[in-house]
Amino acid sequence: MRLIRLRASVITSLIMIPLACLVGLPFYYIAVNTFKTQADMSVNPFGLPKSFTWDNYVSLFSNFPVLQIFGNTVYVTVVSVALMVLTGSMAAFAMIYRRSKVSIIIGGVLLGAFLVPYQTTIIPLYKMVVAAGAVNTLEGLIAIYLAGAVFCYFIIVGYMRTVPFEVIEAARIDGANPFRIYWSIVLPLIRPVLITVSVFQVMWVWNDYITPTIFISSPEKDTLVLLASQAVSQFTINWPAFMAVAVIVLIPMLIFFIFMQRYIVDGLVNGSVKG
Amino acid sequence: MATMTASVVTDRSRNRIRSRAASNLVERLQTYAFYVPIALVFVVLFAIPFGQSVYYSFTNLAGLSPEYHFVGLANYVRVFTDPSLLSGLVFTLFFAIATTVLITCLALPLAVILNRKFFGQRFVRAMYFFPAIPSIAILALVWQFILSPLASGALNTLLHDLFGIGPVPWLSDPTLAQISVVVVGVWSLTGWHAVLYLAYLQSIPGDYYEVARIDGASSSQQFRYITLPMLAPAITVSTLLLMTSGLNVYALPQNLTSGGPGFATYTITQNIVISGISEGQYGQASALGVVFMIAVGVVIVLQLMLSRRLQRS
Repeated sequence: MRLIRLRASVITSLIMIPLACLVGLPFYYIAVNTFKTQADMSVNPFGLPKSFTWDNYVSLFSNFPVLQIFGNTVYVTVVSVALMVLTGSMAAFAMIYRRSKVSIIIGGVLLGAFLVPYQTTIIPLYKMVVAAGAVNTLEGLIAIYLAGAVFCYFIIVGYMRTVPFEVIEAARIDGANPFRIYWSIVLPLIRPVLITVSVFQVMWVWNDYITPTIFISSPEKDTLVLLASQAVSQFTINWPAFMAVAVIVLIPMLIFFIFMQRYIVDGLVNGSVKG
Repeated sequence: MATMTASVVTDRSRNRIRSRAASNLVERLQTYAFYVPIALVFVVLFAIPFGQSVYYSFTNLAGLSPEYHFVGLANYVRVFTDPSLLSGLVFTLFFAIATTVLITCLALPLAVILNRKFFGQRFVRAMYFFPAIPSIAILALVWQFILSPLASGALNTLLHDLFGIGPVPWLSDPTLAQISVVVVGVWSLTGWHAVLYLAYLQSIPGDYYEVARIDGASSSQQFRYITLPMLAPAITVSTLLLMTSGLNVYALPQNLTSGGPGFATYTITQNIVISGISEGQYGQASALGVVFMIAVGVVIVLQLMLSRRLQRS
């Protein structure tokens, strides 16, 4: 019996490991080609480089303000995610703290907003941002991303329903005002969901393509995703140079993945169960 | 004396009631303050633009000219008659349905396998999962090099070296381009959904399988009568996510094929961005946005009804 199980496990490994390598092949393809010359890459796309070169990375850093673009992306992501989590959690707290006609109406209205796709509001939003003179600014991008607060609200309010209400009630009787209860009791209690929702929103903002392509038009305001799509038109023939861009853009996501995998999987399970 | 005490007492309790009412009002106002940020977000980013979009969709508002008038349903009629708009609608639906079906059929068995113990399990799981993490825009750009229809494209070089097959027009033939977009979509999300199923699988009590094994159920019977019914809620969630993300598809075809060749891989969102932002056809693009919202709503309702019926039977 044990032998059969062992054999089954070996067979599974023998099938699954090569398949997983096949799925990961595009990432190997990206990485290995950054060390090749143009000619080498076109005849030998999957092999190891014939002669090792750093030129592609050098040309990347001399052609684009990579560090600044990285800084832009971090700035937009951190500020917008912090604001949307704050906004969403405040609304979720008020919803739990005091149920009234107002809270029921607000809950319904937000559900309505949740069902309106981005594509339906994007044109008026664009005109609005242009009218405010915020087009091609990082702050304009952040303002648009705040729409994500509605998603944060739904995930957080679902989690808050599982938090014991007695703690809040006790603090209320002790005379703590709502601001104090929110900041020093509720926020620490809901830390797990704050992490999960932040991880998901960071992935959304960091990876978003549609918003920066619409609202950003100058290279020094680029985000990393835009950098990649501009590099592809700049390096139409120089494929290895583009692969170097891809590596630079993918490395932060790889690091993020390694450290946040647990929270992503948790969020997949909990978020989807409750959502 | 007695009456005085009584009146003092009532005075006090009245004061207390009054102060409690006042503190109640203060607390209520304080609670409302928590709604201010989300109310701002709702009004500025949802209510106003949504209202404007519906309003524009009945006008011929375009470009920089401030003059426009009502055109009734003309924009809506064009959504269903203009060939480029129509092909965007058709390909988006095709993509959403094809990726949903394929990913579900692949992710379910994958999750069952990943639930077993075998050497290299953690590596395999992470490898399948990872393509969902980076921006699909960047991955699509990379796939553009792999699937390049030129003889120097990576896949074409490989096929030539291994089998001597001439360059395959992966992205330049309309049908192959559509298939390529779907394949890259499936590649990027199958692992993600397998992990979602895996999480539900791990919550199925082991006793169920134990009992089934004692009763002599084969492993395919176990899958059919235990695993699949227990996964029903997960299937609902996963297919719903896939359908909505499929209908929203934009970055993938935009970066892999730019909607081409011709309009073969054109999507609704690409249409809205191009006609609404680049060409300034606000009226027309808004009508498309409204149609899109209704289409997504209808698909979600239909799907929920279907899955509820399946779960009952």
